[in-house]
Amino acid sequence: MNALFEIFISGLFSGSLYAMMAVGLALIWTTIGVFNFGQGIFATLAAYLTWQLVDAAGFELPLFVSIVLALAVMAVIGWLFQLALVRPFIGQPGIVLTVVITTLAAFTILENITLLLWGPRPKQLPPLIPGNAEVLGFGIAAHQLAIIVITPLILLAVWLFLNRTRTGLALRAVSQNEDASLLAGLNVPMMYALAFALSAVLAGLAGVFFGGLKFMSPTMGTEPLVKALVVVIFGGIANLTGPILAAYLIAFFEAAATYFIGFYWTPALLFLVLIVTLMVRPEGLLTGRSRRLT
Amino acid sequence: MTDGAEKRGGRAVLPAWMPLQGRELAAMAAGALLLVLLPLVITDTYTRHLIILVFIYAIVASSWDLSLGYAGIFNFGHLALFAIGLYSYALATKFGGVNGWAAIPLAGLMAMIAAAIVTVPILRLKGIYIILVTFAFSQLVLQLVVSQSDWTGGTLGMTGVPSLKLPGHNFIRDGKIGYYYTALVLLGANILFLRIFVRSPLGLSIVALRDNEEYAVSRGISLARQRLLTMVASAMFTGMAGGLYGAYVRNASIEAFGIGLLTLILSMVLLGGTATIYGSLLAGFVLVFLDEVMIDLGAWRPITIALLIILVMLVYPGGLFGGLRALAGRLMRKERT
Repeated sequence: MNALFEIFISGLFSGSLYAMMAVGLALIWTTIGVFNFGQGIFATLAAYLTWQLVDAAGFELPLFVSIVLALAVMAVIGWLFQLALVRPFIGQPGIVLTVVITTLAAFTILENITLLLWGPRPKQLPPLIPGNAEVLGFGIAAHQLAIIVITPLILLAVWLFLNRTRTGLALRAVSQNEDASLLAGLNVPMMYALAFALSAVLAGLAGVFFGGLKFMSPTMGTEPLVKALVVVIFGGIANLTGPILAAYLIAFFEAAATYFIGFYWTPALLFLVLIVTLMVRPEGLLTGRSRRLT
Repeated sequence: MTDGAEKRGGRAVLPAWMPLQGRELAAMAAGALLLVLLPLVITDTYTRHLIILVFIYAIVASSWDLSLGYAGIFNFGHLALFAIGLYSYALATKFGGVNGWAAIPLAGLMAMIAAAIVTVPILRLKGIYIILVTFAFSQLVLQLVVSQSDWTGGTLGMTGVPSLKLPGHNFIRDGKIGYYYTALVLLGANILFLRIFVRSPLGLSIVALRDNEEYAVSRGISLARQRLLTMVASAMFTGMAGGLYGAYVRNASIEAFGIGLLTLILSMVLLGGTATIYGSLLAGFVLVFLDEVMIDLGAWRPITIALLIILVMLVYPGGLFGGLRALAGRLMRKERT
């Protein structure tokens, strides 16, 4: 029973982080039709920026102020990302490959800048809520519980934004038919910028959450990126619900596999399942065929 | 093919099995001669070491150019094929007692088998999904290598991998001359193979599939067969280069899977210009020596290389070779007028 509970909590926690990373990827893919391999570095940067603001060695601001400020900076960085790495290639035939390369290069640049600025020594953020909580008689870190609760709310907010606000609907319009959106007078470049800023904020939040539980290092962005890739392959990239479901599904699978067959074989098994999935359903398990949002 | 032959009218007629033109063959021979004679001028072993690395990387990069540039298959698991060659060589020579000269073709064969396996899930996929799956494939291979640490040494890698051996010649204390020529021969065979491949009807058909898939398929070209052949062909010399690399550096480590090497090789393909084959070698020299110049810069080194990649993508997507070809074309025109 205890083991099951651990698997459950671990799955929910990792699933939350994967979901935020993957939704960002899907948001950019559906809106612009490119894939951002720099997504992982958003998590790293946000965690380090927050550390800089909150830590005694930095500016010693309150945690929530630091997080908000760091995320604001992330929105700007996301906007700059698309300005420098995506916008110049819009309309070119090889844009998908080009953007994979430019964002991968930006990943390398920012990872090394993080290393130069903050050094290789692992750092840690304070937890969102210190101490432990008790659920159904089992102990759990309050930080983990907070993230498990907060993430679905954030994802809900993203969904509401995309479905209930004018800007969100405009974003979806751009993803569905760019030419028609232009004709309707929507500011398409603005929507591109918005998609990148939003996904940078989501990935940044995942990074901050991660940094409050485990040690952060300049290379911490690679792992969530790879996991988010797996999630979007599995869940499909053409909408937002697919990746979210897949994120939790994969996190549970991972937690269970780690517990039952061990840490080493889990990734191999995960990728094997993934490849078999693709042979049967190339468009992902949880998706329709069209390139749509939500 | 016929109007190609008409355009070529007036030049020397080559046998039908040789799709390369006379001028290209002449340039190839001149380049080969230059590289054969180069060690007479460059006697410093460290520079020779760098050139050997250029040769090995150029094999990997130009083979990648076949799948990425000509066929438009975004295979982001290409470096995993190199790593499979590397580990096949290391395991076969260290634990299987296989002779190094036999282990290099074996490494190529293993990479070809792996390429055939990874092609199966991507047969029905397009664009970004191929990137995702092949990327996942390379992570899978990495995880397998790490998890079998009894054999592969896990994250620490394998050391004491046997070198190549020839009776009467010591490959380790010969001023790197043995490996220089071994790598050069492999590079030459690789370039010749790739150029003939892309100029053959098979090569033309994969370009047709890249440029207009529906039309090519409607003209009876099999997407699945061509894709499989391309992937296996791109793996052949890549795996052998991995084997040679293992014999040369005498260890195998998971750095072969790292983002660093991926970025370096990818920038060789792109800086050199995609769908050129030769560009990779050219860019290999530029990048390896540029990297060497910046050796004291620490973290600034990858930053500079990455900035260079972005700049090339922004300013000159045709790459170095494209630039040279345009320059040569302009000079030729001036000569004629």
